[in-house]
Amino acid sequence: MRLAHRRAVAGATAAVAALTLAACGGNVAGGTGGTEASSEFPSGPVTLTVGQDAGGSTDLIARALADGMSGDLGVSVPVVNRAGANGAVATQEVAGKPADGSNLVLLNASLITITPLAVSEDEAVSLDDVDVLKGLSQDDYVLVASKKSGFEDLDDLRAASGEVTYGTTGVGTGSQLAQAVLFAQAGIEGTSVPFDSGSPALTAVVGDQVQVATIQLGEAKPQIDAGNVVPLLAFSAERNQFLPDVPTAVEEGYDVPVSQYRALAAPKGLPEDVKARLVESVDAAVAEDAYTSFNENNLLTPHEISGEEVVEEWTALAEKYQDLTAEYDISLAE
Amino acid sequence: MDNLQNVMAGFEVVLEPTNLLYCLVGVLIGMLIGVLPGLGPAATIAILLPLTYGIEPVTAIIMLAGIFYGAQYGGTITSVLLRLPGEASSVVTVLDGHALARQGKAGTALGIAAIGSFVGGTVAIVGLTFLAPVVASFALDFGPPEYAALALLGILLVSTIASGARVKALVAAALGLLLATVGRDAFTGTERFTFGSLDLADGIDFVPVAMGLFGLGEILYNLEERHRAVHAPGKVTNVWPSRSDLRESSGAVTRGSVLGFFLGILPGGGATIASMAAYAAEKKRAKDPSRFGKGAIEGVAGPETANNAAATSSFIPLLTLGIPANATMALMFGALLIQGITPGPQLVDQHPELFWGVVNSMYVGNILLLIMSIPLVGVFVRILRVRAAILAPITALITMIGAYTINNSVFDVLLVVVFGAVGYLMKKFGFEPGPLVLAFVLGSLLEESVRRSLLLFGGDPTGFVTRPISAVLLALFVVVAVWPLVQSARRRRPAQAPTPDREEASV
Repeated sequence: MRLAHRRAVAGATAAVAALTLAACGGNVAGGTGGTEASSEFPSGPVTLTVGQDAGGSTDLIARALADGMSGDLGVSVPVVNRAGANGAVATQEVAGKPADGSNLVLLNASLITITPLAVSEDEAVSLDDVDVLKGLSQDDYVLVASKKSGFEDLDDLRAASGEVTYGTTGVGTGSQLAQAVLFAQAGIEGTSVPFDSGSPALTAVVGDQVQVATIQLGEAKPQIDAGNVVPLLAFSAERNQFLPDVPTAVEEGYDVPVSQYRALAAPKGLPEDVKARLVESVDAAVAEDAYTSFNENNLLTPHEISGEEVVEEWTALAEKYQDLTAEYDISLAE
Repeated sequence: MDNLQNVMAGFEVVLEPTNLLYCLVGVLIGMLIGVLPGLGPAATIAILLPLTYGIEPVTAIIMLAGIFYGAQYGGTITSVLLRLPGEASSVVTVLDGHALARQGKAGTALGIAAIGSFVGGTVAIVGLTFLAPVVASFALDFGPPEYAALALLGILLVSTIASGARVKALVAAALGLLLATVGRDAFTGTERFTFGSLDLADGIDFVPVAMGLFGLGEILYNLEERHRAVHAPGKVTNVWPSRSDLRESSGAVTRGSVLGFFLGILPGGGATIASMAAYAAEKKRAKDPSRFGKGAIEGVAGPETANNAAATSSFIPLLTLGIPANATMALMFGALLIQGITPGPQLVDQHPELFWGVVNSMYVGNILLLIMSIPLVGVFVRILRVRAAILAPITALITMIGAYTINNSVFDVLLVVVFGAVGYLMKKFGFEPGPLVLAFVLGSLLEESVRRSLLLFGGDPTGFVTRPISAVLLALFVVVAVWPLVQSARRRRPAQAPTPDREEASV
């Protein structure tokens, strides 16, 4: 727009044409999308709330998605960061808003599937409070070892049982759960050392303060590529496309599929036509080149399943984790 | 050399028009608030934090850094001309600076201060350029035990060398430590002092605390003080110091640069302490100490050089280890976090453009300040005539709006109001908010690092003293803690001054 204005000084006609075209572009996109089902939706901006700080991977996903949705819906889709309690604050806030489609929230699966294992019941968030619209992507965890530790595979780690210190990205995270269950199943004894997030945990592995840690792939990849840490194991159910040579825990015979999934949700009770329109715009957004290359650049595996499938999958995972921790007598809250 | 490339790339970053503009805006704001008594760099940065939200990280930090060192220039002007220190770090400049002004040599004093500030700042940037990567390369050896020892040392230094009463500083620091315990326990998930509120689950956010204590608290406190009408002199002549003035102050400038640089790196150090130490050093060195207070040019050159050097070098611990050395750096820490960047050992590697962009912007900023400081003196002094009754409500409003925008949370606005009241009361009763804020930041680092270390050591605390870096830091801690006692003991019995066995004490 600023460019168009600057041109206006030189040639007014060209500027008017450019502006008209730009305006039309917006309208056309909005018009074709909302044909029959929802003639009046969206009538205003659709706010997408993120329960994490700006700049993190959840926030980046929200912004990439909002870009595409805004183009399809023909209205602006501002991203609002409302960090707190691993996203519980944002989810509760959005769940309490009117179910008219103008408020959305980006959900992290760990908030539903793992956090309840670590915090008291009244702080946990349930999927019953929201309408899940669509699954988005999967962010895998990878177990990395420091170079000094000399570990190259899980057997090395098993051999060091008893003296292992392992870093986690915090209490109630997939990183903590994945390692606790893996260590219990593999009979490895180790001390869990929680860090605030992925970055300090990774730094601790690079500096050999802890021997291993489980980090989200997007964060760990640069250090893996630089040869500063050695990837031992991925916790995805299937081999990760970005780490084709690294075995998964499942392959090694340990039943700990842990990934970070993300999905889009709205307050409970959304009218069917509005819901359909929103899902349609998500589908349009994730099909765009900008979004697919965003996923690739951030090492995210697309996992675009329907809202019902998300609820099914996350509920099953929550139960599985509940059973696993009960079986091996693991307490995430120490 | 990789570093050289990064340094050059950093210059490219600075020379982007946007960044140059923000650098200029930063130093201008800095000078301006330096002139205004009561509104310090910490308060200004606290108030402006939310505005940086929408700009690029490098640009934001360049501007905020400009405010910090720009204020060191500005504070001098009112000290010399009006006997009214605009900044705490220019308090000692009043003594000789104003004496010079009364002798009709205000221009000389301001000229020397500007030149000294420029030299001190530039020496410190060169030091920063070479020393920071060295410190950062050690940073991987910094594990939880080292951070624990450093945080402990930092909290002690902050509360003991702070200006003002030591006991009050300790009380403020203790309060900060207490506030740092609020929130969900990072190791067990247990709720601590959250009263069931999800808003408190992650602990109290640093930014609203700082905005309340420094921003709102400062505004309230200043409103209470009735400002007398200021009669600023219209013109300042003779800004170019004579050759003999330059010769007389060259030693003071050199010493001030070195002293300021090292005092700035220390946790708890910073511009104010550096300027005071430099003044004391100059007075001690002088052949005729009685000249001081009556218009000694070294008494202006030394402290004014030192405060700029310290303002610059205090970026080293923040950018390399993620440990803020003083309250203003704690705010920079907050600013980086808002931008999604965690200051720490990985910063130089992962965000070289940010690191070198900010460092190199200081070269540019210092040149801008040198050019501006002399001709703009008259303009800045006139700003003093803006009535507090107009300035205060505007700044209070900006603070509140800003507090809301960071996290879109009304709770944060409430926090600002509460901590604004706390800050006002603290000031009124002679407590500095600085130690509170720093202890608050370092407190969670201390607690988590100690607990993490003990996990790593398998519960054996001797690990802290067998690791070389943490052992040295802990020994320093003991020295600093014991030193005042030793001194008072010496004063009482000067005949048989005992030398304490520090080795034994450190175990």
